[in-house]
Amino acid sequence: MIFNSLTFLVFFGLVMALHYAPFFSWHQKKINLMIASYLFYAAWNPPFVILLWISTVVDWWAAQWMVRAKTERTRKLWMLTSVVVNLGMLGYFKYGGFLLSNFVTIAGALGVVYHPPGWDIVLPVGISFYTFATLSYTLDVYLRRSKPAGSFLNYALFVTFFPHLVAGPIMRPTELVPQFDEPRQAKPNQIFFGLALLTLGLFQKVVLADGFLAPVVEAVYDAHGQLPGMLDSWVATLAFAGQIFCDFAGYSTSAIGVALCLGFAMPDNFRFPYGAVGFSDFWRRWHITLSSWLRDYLYIPLGGNRHGRARTYAALMGTMLLGGLWHGANWTFVVWGGLHGLYLSVERWLKARFNGFTPGRIAILGLAVLTFLLVNVTWVFFRAKTFAGAGVVLKGMAGMQVKPEALIPFGPMIIAMIIVSAIFGTHLTMRNTTLEAVIERTPAVALAGIWTLLLFAVIIEQGQGSAFIYFAF
Amino acid sequence: MPSSISHSDAHRAEVRGLREGALPPGLRQTASNRPGQAQPVPTRDIPAQPWVKIGISVLCAVTLLTSAWEWNARTNLGLHAGDIDDSAQAWAEARRAADSAPVAIVGDSRILFDTDQARFQAMTGVRPVQVSFVGTNSRTLLEHFANDPKFHGLLIVGMADLIYFGPRGIGVGAPAVHNYVKNGKPSQLTGLWIDRWLQNYVAFMDSDYRLSKMVPKLDHGWRKGVDSPYEDVWKISETFPGRQYFMWDQIEAPGYLQAHARHAWNGFKAPPIPRSIADKVIVRSAEAVRRIRARGGDVIFVRPPSAPQLRVNEDREIPRALGWDRLLAAIPAKGIHADDLPQAQNLVIPEWSHLSRKCATVFTDAYVRRLVQLTNRLKLRADAPPPLSRADCVPQRIASL
Repeated sequence: MIFNSLTFLVFFGLVMALHYAPFFSWHQKKINLMIASYLFYAAWNPPFVILLWISTVVDWWAAQWMVRAKTERTRKLWMLTSVVVNLGMLGYFKYGGFLLSNFVTIAGALGVVYHPPGWDIVLPVGISFYTFATLSYTLDVYLRRSKPAGSFLNYALFVTFFPHLVAGPIMRPTELVPQFDEPRQAKPNQIFFGLALLTLGLFQKVVLADGFLAPVVEAVYDAHGQLPGMLDSWVATLAFAGQIFCDFAGYSTSAIGVALCLGFAMPDNFRFPYGAVGFSDFWRRWHITLSSWLRDYLYIPLGGNRHGRARTYAALMGTMLLGGLWHGANWTFVVWGGLHGLYLSVERWLKARFNGFTPGRIAILGLAVLTFLLVNVTWVFFRAKTFAGAGVVLKGMAGMQVKPEALIPFGPMIIAMIIVSAIFGTHLTMRNTTLEAVIERTPAVALAGIWTLLLFAVIIEQGQGSAFIYFAF
Repeated sequence: MPSSISHSDAHRAEVRGLREGALPPGLRQTASNRPGQAQPVPTRDIPAQPWVKIGISVLCAVTLLTSAWEWNARTNLGLHAGDIDDSAQAWAEARRAADSAPVAIVGDSRILFDTDQARFQAMTGVRPVQVSFVGTNSRTLLEHFANDPKFHGLLIVGMADLIYFGPRGIGVGAPAVHNYVKNGKPSQLTGLWIDRWLQNYVAFMDSDYRLSKMVPKLDHGWRKGVDSPYEDVWKISETFPGRQYFMWDQIEAPGYLQAHARHAWNGFKAPPIPRSIADKVIVRSAEAVRRIRARGGDVIFVRPPSAPQLRVNEDREIPRALGWDRLLAAIPAKGIHADDLPQAQNLVIPEWSHLSRKCATVFTDAYVRRLVQLTNRLKLRADAPPPLSRADCVPQRIASL
């Protein structure tokens, strides 16, 4: 089920009614929430609920046995069991076809002709998200950062809680499980603020990402055989930067709003990322729950920055390459991650080289623009389905197309650029503040007017129920 | 910092993750500020604002605006409640129903607009399942059915020659056809039902009149060398249950929208289709028909009419003798060409490509009477309505010309 659907509207209304019904105990309400979460997931593909169960049960018992283990070796064994089961399922469903096709290519290069049967496996929606969420549970217990959850119901509800289940924010058990300990009901003002966040998220997704930006992106990235020039290539790529942000941040904002209506707090996943100055700053603002997950469970265990310069760069590159692969089973995603790893490494080297440099306001603005432009170069690999496709767009961006063709009509191009400029400007302006702080300073009448316009735009845009881009990850 | 609750309450709320009043930006920490540790319950600060009053006023304002928009849709745009729109999910639903149907129709928009399913049913007792898709090559849909072992019925293949015999692939319907197995998820089905139910009462819910479709239409070709949204085909139809398409009344009446619809067809101008390509299409069609017949099904082709303004170009690009006649002879298959139906001559084709709503019923009446002569899978009911003629759909002032 997706947030931008009429089905969700009905579903959410029923969940709210059950959650605030006076005749249910807190225990029963948690069971209601869990059943609703399973329905939310099954509405996409019912059989895949079994994977959720497997993940839930295996990690619950792995953590239980880890605590009861007498030796360090046994603890490690249970941790590895959890890792192997979770990553095994993820690998089979998400990377099976990718590994097979690469094997065939390598075998072919070695002169071995191999024709495997077709790998026609459907990717369970959100598997990358809930796999990381449940893995953080066993890993935190193994690393002695936290104790196992006290109740199976609380833990199972943490795994399945529908606002974060399929596209994040990737929650840690320590962030959510304690919230299930005592009855939670949002106050009316919290519910209305949650609804305002839900509206903002839907506006970003339905109106901006799907309505106005996606067609501009598709005109270039899906223009088979046509060669875009410099203007079209840059406009489409900038539009994609806006689309992917509005799509994903829109989902996170909606999820936070939905959870808030139910009385739960979820973490920020985006913090005005296009206002970042440098790439380490970018990754503190973009998909925060993934970048911090990768830092805590991959970068630090790989050595982090504690074992010399070479090891630090290796850990950075390794983390970003795997982070790229997390997004999709395609080498283009690996290159996307690799570019970010390279940017981070170069930035780290420059910071060490120019240690005492403190940029002024103009320099900060220039560095923010440079960061944004370089991030856009990486988006080419993220959006293009093949390297050939990415090559065509990059060649266009560099102005090297011999006979470029006009692909984007002027009207949609102007609208897309207005939207992207507004996003970039907003992020730059708000990079040192929070949405909540700005809202608090805004007159209530203006807030009501803005909320009305956003909601009305969502209604008249109607939407077509298209899935969020990150559902595929 | 403004806060509507006491200090101890605020502390408790922070422990619970929710906090009244916005936190100063520096205090809003995320996991990125806490490396290598278990993350605590996040803090969600609620800006100090009269949210309940704001929410209620937003609700009132949006209700007012939406009502005004609905009024505008009905009075100025000419949209109607009950026009339930079409979608990839609706096509998938029809495609699944066609598996066990005695009669299914595939084709492009012409057979989709020009078949009145109720008339078909009144005459034969069978309601055909409409599986056509706008802008889609009916040959690829024919092959879709040929590859489906479940289908054993009669397949009516409607065609616009230029699309059918041309080198183009599947066309506009590609995503719907390729993903139809996936387009049956429980959430999609419930979404489809709720959407249809709502559209029975609300006129503004129309995919052609979404905000992001209307705004770009202002671009009347401002950039050279690229087709603007003005060149697209805009709304020309209304859709009713069973994917019954009919011409939208705004297109039937002369005016800006009708003129635009005619402009969008661009006369169906295209380079002539080489004989070699037509030959390949005929071979593939013959194979598809053979496979359907091999498991007990059958195929009959139908060519709906087009206006002389388009027909002159269509005939130049793929003459009947090179396409239609050779197709039927080579397969061999039976077919009904609009040219051969006396009752289907000089019908009203407002935007030159699809029949008016009333004339669609007349054309259906004409081709079904011929259809029952070509196949024993359908019989004309004893209580079938009497035949219709051109006079039943052509306005008197035009009929007398």
